[in-house]
Amino acid sequence: MTPRQTLAWQVALGLLLMALWEALGQLGAVNYVSRPSLVAAKLALWFGGTVYQHLGTTLIELILGMGIGSSLGIVAGLFLGRAPVAAVVLRPLIVALYSVPLVALAPLFIMFLGLGVLPKIVLVGLVTFFLLFFNTFAGAERIDEDQVHALELMGASRGEIFRKVVAPGTAVWIVGGLKIALPYALVATITGELLATRAGLGFLLSQASERFDMAGLYAVLFILMTIGLLLSEASARLETHLLHWRQGHD
Amino acid sequence: MTEKIRLEAVTKLFNTRGTTTVALKPVDLSVRDNEFVALVGPSGCGKSTILNMVAGLMPASGGRVLYDGAPVAGANRRVGYMTQKDTLLPWRSTADNIRLALELKCRRTAKSEADDRVAQMIDLVGLKGFEKHFPAELSGGMRKRAALARTLIYEPETLLMDEPFGALDAQLKLVMLDQLQRLTQDRRMTVLFVTHDLAEAITLADRIVIFSGRPGRIRSIHDIALPRPRDVYKARFDPDFAHLHATLWDEMKDDVIAAGARA
Ligand SMILES: Nc1ncnc2c1ncn2[C@@H]1O[C@H](COP(=O)(O)OP(=O)(O)OP(=O)(O)O)[C@@H](O)[C@H]1O
Ligand SMILES: [Mg+2]
Repeated sequence: MTPRQTLAWQVALGLLLMALWEALGQLGAVNYVSRPSLVAAKLALWFGGTVYQHLGTTLIELILGMGIGSSLGIVAGLFLGRAPVAAVVLRPLIVALYSVPLVALAPLFIMFLGLGVLPKIVLVGLVTFFLLFFNTFAGAERIDEDQVHALELMGASRGEIFRKVVAPGTAVWIVGGLKIALPYALVATITGELLATRAGLGFLLSQASERFDMAGLYAVLFILMTIGLLLSEASARLETHLLHWRQGHD
Repeated sequence: MTEKIRLEAVTKLFNTRGTTTVALKPVDLSVRDNEFVALVGPSGCGKSTILNMVAGLMPASGGRVLYDGAPVAGANRRVGYMTQKDTLLPWRSTADNIRLALELKCRRTAKSEADDRVAQMIDLVGLKGFEKHFPAELSGGMRKRAALARTLIYEPETLLMDEPFGALDAQLKLVMLDQLQRLTQDRRMTVLFVTHDLAEAITLADRIVIFSGRPGRIRSIHDIALPRPRDVYKARFDPDFAHLHATLWDEMKDDVIAAGARA
């Protein structure tokens, strides 16, 4: 199939699902499933003004949390992956921390850090930190020692070995970690917001469900889905860009 | 001529999962400055192990490895090492792999000069047209040649080469041997060269060290007194060459056959 044909099929399938959904709503299940037309009207209303504040809050939490969490995770993973002794010593601690269901800590963060964006950023940051840490660590540990030796014999400094072998050799793993972390980060953001907040898409979601506003609920889900799609598309582009050398052999 | 590399009663043991393998029994060997020494012997007799120790990538279990009279401790940056397994960086194109050494602080080279030298090397190893290919897109023999170019481009004073031409066809191999002879003579390099191909060893080497099978030890050392420069394309039709080949093969064959039977 050409890309055009693929797209045509995807659009057709989407329209079909929409039509089924609309029919289901028209047939009387509207109180449970709403209807695409009502959801669209809701979205139109929100995008006329009120949604931007919530969207902005959620995106800030997501982006800052992921940015900080993944940077720290990558740095820690690269460092410990290349420092076997430290890794052996610290490993049980890290695994123990990782075994804690982090989302369960959300009420704790909210208690200590209030209702603002901070507790969500911390939560998202922790979730992404661990995912990126473990992936980066695995990658850095698997660096081909023979490649490192080759650079050493050429006279490369430690920094040069890091830049020319360790970092690019771990890139596959880092990108993989980012792709895994994206949906988890989104879940963590929304969970934090559902628990207690005054703004954000999670807030809209809990508001809609309290009022039994089905159209509003689906409208939030639609926005979340779109964010998820855009983010995974962005990570796919990053992957193609960083890992172009792998094309054609996997 | 002065001595470049010296092995004094060097032994090597490997411990793997509770069993100890004796890879090398005491080996004594001295390589002079600007000398081309070939190591031949059956598979598993410790040839790669010797190169690894000279490069400082693994310590000897006993004895001493000296380079320029001083014990080798840690990575030996005076040598260029083309390993048996290729260590090209898979995320770099052929040209960028070959350029690698020129990007390092210790021999930073202006871009235009580096470009010229990379182009020369690509020419030398016959990889024109494949500059932008990634290692995974090259054949085994092409990867070997890229690795060779990557090592030669910075002209290390000593070359350690582990079966550099194993994956090449006979004709291309001769072209490569010719280039290698020219370059190592011009630049007055010292070479320690591992090969399974006796003819290749006779064509290039000043001396050939024959190892016997595992645990490895030196069986005999032979001077190759053929005059230089040697015509690599015709050398093997020389009667002296044929005579040497027959003598050396007689030395080796029992061990090679025994190693084959064990494998
Ligand atoms: N890193 C290692 N760990 C354990 N044993 C090793 C290691 N490297 C080599 N050996 C053992 O040492 C012996 C010599 O190995 P080496 O690679 O030096 O042989 P070689 O002469 O280069 O063989 P070939 O011609 O097949 O390349 C072999 O028995 C091998 O199993
Ligand atoms: Mg070997």
